[in-house]
Amino acid sequence: MSEKYKFDTMSLHSGHVPDKETGSRAVPIYQTTSYVFKDTDEAAALYNMEVGGHLYTRISNPTIATLEQRLASLDGGVSCVACSSGMAAMHLVVTAICSSGDHIVASNKMYGANINLLQHTMTRFGIETAFVNPNNLEEIEKAIKPNTKLVFGEVIGNPGLDVMNVPEVAKICKEKNVPLAIDATFNTPYLMKPISYGANIVIHSLTKWIGGHGIAIGGAIINGGNFDWGNKEKFPTISGPHFAMNGISFWEEFGPSALTAKIRAEGMYNFGPSLSPNNAFYILQGIETLSLRMKKHIENTKMMLEFLKDNEAVSWLRHPDLEDHPDHKIAKKILPLGSGSIIVFGIKGGRDAGKAFIENVKLSSHLANVGDAKTLIIHPGSTTHSHLSSEAMKMSGLTDDMIRLSVGLEDIEDIKIDFEKGFKAASKISNKRS
Amino acid sequence: MYKDFNGNKVYFSTGGLNLVNDKETLCFVHGAGQNHYSFTQQIRYFVSQGYNVVAPDFPGHGFSEGNQTTSIEEDMLWLAELLAFLKIEKATFIGHSQGCLTILELAEKKPELIMGLVFVAGAMSIPVNDFLIDTSINNPEKAYDLMVTWGQDSYGSFSISDWPGHNHLAEGNAVMKMNEPSVLSTDLKSCNLYENGKQAASTININCLAVLAKFDMMTPLKKGLQMVENIKQCDYKILECGHFLPIEKPKELNSLIKNYLNSLK
Ligand SMILES: Cc1ncc(COP(=O)(O)O)c(C=O)c1O
Repeated sequence: MSEKYKFDTMSLHSGHVPDKETGSRAVPIYQTTSYVFKDTDEAAALYNMEVGGHLYTRISNPTIATLEQRLASLDGGVSCVACSSGMAAMHLVVTAICSSGDHIVASNKMYGANINLLQHTMTRFGIETAFVNPNNLEEIEKAIKPNTKLVFGEVIGNPGLDVMNVPEVAKICKEKNVPLAIDATFNTPYLMKPISYGANIVIHSLTKWIGGHGIAIGGAIINGGNFDWGNKEKFPTISGPHFAMNGISFWEEFGPSALTAKIRAEGMYNFGPSLSPNNAFYILQGIETLSLRMKKHIENTKMMLEFLKDNEAVSWLRHPDLEDHPDHKIAKKILPLGSGSIIVFGIKGGRDAGKAFIENVKLSSHLANVGDAKTLIIHPGSTTHSHLSSEAMKMSGLTDDMIRLSVGLEDIEDIKIDFEKGFKAASKISNKRS
Repeated sequence: MYKDFNGNKVYFSTGGLNLVNDKETLCFVHGAGQNHYSFTQQIRYFVSQGYNVVAPDFPGHGFSEGNQTTSIEEDMLWLAELLAFLKIEKATFIGHSQGCLTILELAEKKPELIMGLVFVAGAMSIPVNDFLIDTSINNPEKAYDLMVTWGQDSYGSFSISDWPGHNHLAEGNAVMKMNEPSVLSTDLKSCNLYENGKQAASTININCLAVLAKFDMMTPLKKGLQMVENIKQCDYKILECGHFLPIEKPKELNSLIKNYLNSLK
């Protein structure tokens, strides 16, 4: 990987220097749908992707391009496409590479919508997925078939916090000539860069820690430029002829950035999940402080783990930095700075106690997001999964006493006091039971 | 486009179109450790402008197989033979870096092939320091890093690009990694050995164009200007960028080449 500047410098500067005409130090928000062509020659060249530039904001925009270039440099990728959400990013990757009759191997411990997209939506379009245990290397290798076009997983799974052995999975993928796409939302490039461990494609929901403020939904695909798409029979969408632009092969014309060109020329063109320039600006503001925030997230997470470990109201506690976590060893290796700021734990007294806890905390926000600067909590048993029986929840790897905590940046003592109030209410329920 | 040439599979980009007999041909000649992707933003642009484009991957580079050439003289002969094989009688040659040495040599030894000459970030000689050559032998990936980071000025280093979403530092590195690991050191040694540049430059009798980079740390501007002085008629322009000028300033370069091609008509 070539980089001239270090992570913190890149977080502030990549993709932008002061505007030559106005001197604007901040990244300007180019709130425009389109761009006046200098002449017909330039217009044709832009439509044809002969040279870089902007023609329509659904395809690209200068503010969004700054965000893309910043993300590419932070993750060590050759290029990046930002889009309207993390789910849009996942959809763009799948549809750029796979067609009807193709096959995907994916972790069975991923974010619910990632699983649903593959299990219920893509199957309607003839793309099948084999779901595997993300840490069973043998199972992953066996699941890869001749028509497998993509292996997919999360570094830190949501919400189970399983840690994928990315370097070993990458080795298998390389040997089998299948690209490895990694959802790195929970780690961000500050904690771990999947490309440096051999992954080929990185997907982020920018909505979470990268933005960090909880004000903008966004997604991104970072192309590692380290995959050989040259097999035309296997990867016809990348190395075979494109339906426009004189039938060019993206691989022959764009090489390391072939996947990015494909996503821009087809996904952004024909599906149109574009990010708004304003949201790109907000997310850029977040990235400026990414490393400062991640340091504090990790620091607070450590203190919160200590607090929960000995708490009487807590029946079990899960985080990859804890020695009893099944993936602790691999987490230590690939996430040496810390395994993110999500903690899951069980509350004594089951579903009702969980409900009481959630209803009695004030500072911690009860909502569906993660990765905000503010502390967030959710109790799947009384919200997202409230319609399921305890048994049915177990089948999807959850328990009805489970609380998911996204540790924020507040003074941790205040969060502890807030939690004590919740625990007090929960223990009234659990004591009544016993 | 792939062809079997001299017993090897050879790749040259034509921008996705077949070559047509009655069009003028532009031949893009890449530099040390590079391949046709150096000219991604030139190749298809000039195809659309109505030219045949041939941008070969030299043997061992990019998608071309075969034993790598070990001198500029061999590079020149390989290129001349490839053009003969493709039945191209004359072309305008656009060289970048080491590619400039190759087309200087071609201009002296095969003047009948030359319609025009464009030197991009070039010079009459490219001495390479021992440190870079040693690194390219012992740790090629470290050498790619050095070249890519030296090769961009501060804009490129901050991943500033006209090409939305592109990070040229990592991309330059990925392009070099596509070649065999021994390719860069062999190329650098070829550059280092070449001594005929001044003589070759003095034989050129046509109008040429040199596009030089103000912050070039690989072939310093001063050496580019010496080349301009040694060619009878050579216009030059200096762009505010680093050595990987075709990537950092594609639009400016394309416009200069376009004007130059028009001046030849
Ligand atoms: C791991 C992971 N990936 C992807 C997503 C989807 O991101 P978005 O909400 O930006 O579409 C989420 C959202 O919760 C997530 O947690």
